[in-house]
Amino acid sequence: MTLNLCVLTPNRIVWDSEVKEIILSTNSGQIGVLPNHAPIATAVDIGILRIRLNDQWLTMALMGGFARIGNNEITILVNDAEKGSDIDPQEAQQTLEIDEMHNLACLFVNVK
Amino acid sequence: MAMAALRREGRRFAPLISPRPITAVRSSPIVPTHEDEGPIGVRYISTQVVRNRMKSVKNIQKITKAMKMVAASKLRAVQTKAENSRGLWQPFTALLGDLPSVDVKKNVVVTISSDKGLCGGINSTSVKISKGIYKLNSGPEKETKYVILGEKAKAQLVRDSKKDIELIITELQKNPLSYTQVSVLADEILKNVEYDALRIVFNKFHSVVSFVPTVSTVLSPEIVERESESGGKLGELDSYEVEGGETKGEILQNLAEFQFSCVMFNAVLENACSEQGARMSAMDSSSRNAGDMLDRLTLTYNRTRQASITTELIEIISGASALEG
Repeated sequence: MTLNLCVLTPNRIVWDSEVKEIILSTNSGQIGVLPNHAPIATAVDIGILRIRLNDQWLTMALMGGFARIGNNEITILVNDAEKGSDIDPQEAQQTLEIDEMHNLACLFVNVK
Repeated sequence: MAMAALRREGRRFAPLISPRPITAVRSSPIVPTHEDEGPIGVRYISTQVVRNRMKSVKNIQKITKAMKMVAASKLRAVQTKAENSRGLWQPFTALLGDLPSVDVKKNVVVTISSDKGLCGGINSTSVKISKGIYKLNSGPEKETKYVILGEKAKAQLVRDSKKDIELIITELQKNPLSYTQVSVLADEILKNVEYDALRIVFNKFHSVVSFVPTVSTVLSPEIVERESESGGKLGELDSYEVEGGETKGEILQNLAEFQFSCVMFNAVLENACSEQGARMSAMDSSSRNAGDMLDRLTLTYNRTRQASITTELIEIISGASALEG
């Protein structure tokens, strides 16, 4: 028994195939979904989605949205999604540093 | 050689036998003549006039052909985006249903149109449908308001429904369309307008020659609650346990906003595709018409030229024969 996972963003379909299990992070914590889960509709926070195929775990970063889990069909609609393998750690580190400096600068401006 | 000399002679006489210009011919109804030949008494219209007309028609043909190419390339760019965004609203419809027939008190019609013209009849059809929805939903206790995207619908709706317009947004396509831009727009609309049901009117892009005007309905969360409680199509919403927030109402509110921005994004992209497709076919038929006109003018030009040559010949020959004998 497998789950059919579909991850959609406004610009493209990020994932559309079968998986064994997923771990989703919502506003009320992380939930794990196995086959034959009860039907739920939930909001998804900005966080990491973990997908298990056979014995391998894949990660994907989601930028918030909604998820609907029905009879073995999971549909996740998010503003944006990036596969873990597509993210370059160096680039992400640089972007993080730039954003942190930007935040500090904004604080100074506000204080003035 | 002799013919060339005769022709040169004839051309020197031509300005003396000055014909009336074509416009004057059209304005004189008493003279029953064929449009291009001028009234009786004047032999022909000047080849110069016909040549000028041919030049301007040829220029128009070139311009419309170029506009068609530009529209074709823009269409290709937007089409992939529109197709990718189509899958987005299907889960919403599966969960919440698409109920255009729900009876609500406050309707808001969001009309999506283009900013630039020369794109066929798509804007007029959208406006017609918006006005139709307005009429359908008018009655005691019910009110309908407009939100307009695009210059063309604004021009048409400002004329007679000025008091019902809530918000006008133009110049949407200055920057390439992105989801963030549309979601900001959707936010603005949701903040400023009270609604029970939002009806989005746009032209759905089926193929380069077919654009179907469609209406997408987005219901407000209160109405969704009401409908799901009363059973019917939305009854299965209750079978889903809703998690991830304080109350079910809050989740439904977020869901409705997200649904609205997704549907808007898809609608704006599809309308952009339809606009480029309609412009392509309008420019295509226009350049074909220009080609036909050019053919007809060429025939007229040749006839005029030959008539003037014949006239010169007759005059010269009769003059010569009169001298002889």
